[in-house]
Amino acid sequence: MAQPVVELDRVGKTYYNGDVETPVLFDISFSIVPGEFVAIVGGSGSGKTTLLNLMGLLDRPTAGVIRVESQEVSQLDELKRAKARRDRLGFIFQFHYLLPEFTVLENALMPCRMRGREFEKSQEPRMRELLKAVGLEDKLKVRPPQLSGGQQQRVAVVRSLANEPAVVFADEPTGNLDSKSGRLVFDLMKRLSRESGTAFVMVTHDDNFALEADRVIRIRDGRLVGAPLGAIPSPERLGDSILRGGDRA
Amino acid sequence: MLSYFIRSVAFRHLRYSVSQSLLTIGVVAISVLLIIYLRTIIGGTQQRITQNTTGAIPHITVEPPERTPVGAWQLSNLGLDKDTLYVGEVVNLPKAREVIEDWRLWLPSLDAVDPEVATVSPIVTGQAFMNRGSRRQSVRVTGVIPERHNGIVEIEKNLDAGRFIGMVSGDVVLGQKLARDFGLKLRDKVRLVGPEGLTLNFSVAGIYTTGFGQVDDGQVFVTLRDGQSLLELGGSISSFGIKLTDLYDAENVARRMVPVFPFKVQSWVVQNPNLFRTLDAQGQTRDLILIMTTIASGFGIGSILVMVVTSKYREIGILKAMGATPGEIQSIFVLEGLLLAFIGCLVGVPLGVLLLKGLAAIRSVGPDGRVDAPFLIEIDPMLLLGASLVAMATGVVASYFPARKAGQVDPMQVIRGS
Repeated sequence: MAQPVVELDRVGKTYYNGDVETPVLFDISFSIVPGEFVAIVGGSGSGKTTLLNLMGLLDRPTAGVIRVESQEVSQLDELKRAKARRDRLGFIFQFHYLLPEFTVLENALMPCRMRGREFEKSQEPRMRELLKAVGLEDKLKVRPPQLSGGQQQRVAVVRSLANEPAVVFADEPTGNLDSKSGRLVFDLMKRLSRESGTAFVMVTHDDNFALEADRVIRIRDGRLVGAPLGAIPSPERLGDSILRGGDRA
Repeated sequence: MLSYFIRSVAFRHLRYSVSQSLLTIGVVAISVLLIIYLRTIIGGTQQRITQNTTGAIPHITVEPPERTPVGAWQLSNLGLDKDTLYVGEVVNLPKAREVIEDWRLWLPSLDAVDPEVATVSPIVTGQAFMNRGSRRQSVRVTGVIPERHNGIVEIEKNLDAGRFIGMVSGDVVLGQKLARDFGLKLRDKVRLVGPEGLTLNFSVAGIYTTGFGQVDDGQVFVTLRDGQSLLELGGSISSFGIKLTDLYDAENVARRMVPVFPFKVQSWVVQNPNLFRTLDAQGQTRDLILIMTTIASGFGIGSILVMVVTSKYREIGILKAMGATPGEIQSIFVLEGLLLAFIGCLVGVPLGVLLLKGLAAIRSVGPDGRVDAPFLIEIDPMLLLGASLVAMATGVVASYFPARKAGQVDPMQVIRGS
């Protein structure tokens, strides 16, 4: 049975603004195992991005426990969460937000740069290979403004793998691209997930992409709902720890 | 220490935003240039005014204490001798002429009184008439030991002819203007008539131009002995003049001397209160301008960095999401402020030095016909270093607030594109 990379146990989130309480997520429990490609779907305001932020250690839950690689991370302070993100997590956002001052290769290596010059150097050959694999081998020295939107998002996908993360969180990574570029980026993420054995968690509005995920987590009004949409991963691959708690609902 | 990540992002920001960087560097360079220029020019002017005032006078004057004569009938006013009744005419008592008789005993003590003391010169001084042919003019006679007094007023260096150090009894050394008025040349004879009518003959041993009006016009130097004879002071002197290594320490040294010597000890500061007040006011004005300039430069750096932070809001958010800590983000922008200030100094300091050297090279002809530099300029390396440190400290302080703002960017807001 594969050890989960991310586990959520009865996680809830409530925002407080003075005396006003706004509950956003309720009693969420599930796990993600290495190499799994998970899609989170739900309507606007359903809480899927909040869920992604909690898993990505950008925010802290107000209830429950989150573990990354078996380590409890729910209540880490800001500095420790930043370090955990830097070392073990990858991110892809709807807007790629590459740094215009740096070349494509430097942008892809940015998470490594945060960990020091030596680490960056050690990862450079791998990142060159990855950029070559996504068809950007002739753009390594080019700055982001000279690339198309699809190309920039491909750089962002490669960047998310720079620090060899346990899991990559993607928040509507195709949302800002035309359908062709969106398809390219999605296929790329799936391929890299398969090849690298890195788990991907993708928030998406697009049911077509969700159907191609190993598993779909549907969220409505802050709760996990219904049967998983799309393919249910085989127990041999994912282990029986995946479908737990709210996911079984 | 600043990590590779912080350094590389800060450097790259500056290199990529050339126009913003150049603008900030320009602001810093101008403020550094202003600091150097104002301090040197105003400092030079102050030094020149001070030198002009103190160049021809001792930094400290040691005189006999003033004693006002008291009549026996006035003793009761002072609380003394209350019971005696005096009968007679009340007269105004003339002030006794105060002199220092035992000056030879005091001279070694004064020489050694303070490490700051450079020269002590015993002086006799008084009014006399100078006669030559039909021409007659009141002059101030100063009897000195030339070797000592040359440390008070540099006569020897400013001689147009003859000698000052080495003058002997019967020699007189006078200013060029006085010599011209009397048509005197070296070795010409001239007669001095003392206040008591004593007449002595002198031979012109030296003619000088010091540039100090009070020395060049209406003053003649004779030996101490001749001065004592002409003014009929016996073996006494009128005062001691003291020159210090640091004229600005005169008041402190004078204060230290007061309890030690039974004389009236006064520094040039007390003798020239208006000058001191003027210099003080000028210094305060200069400091105010410098503070304003520094603040303006700080606002310049700060406002440009605020713009940079605002324009890089999204990139900052992504860096934070990827694991950059608030401290690292803050350090990036503080380092940018420091670097901009540092480069501004590298530009501003040479510009300031160049400007000052240009001003120092200017020559103008004064009213006395002497060619002189209108600006007294001494380039002080400590000032250059100080101005640079002030500018860099301003850069750090000014960048702190935008940097803090950058450190507080919430990645979650950025991710959603809000």
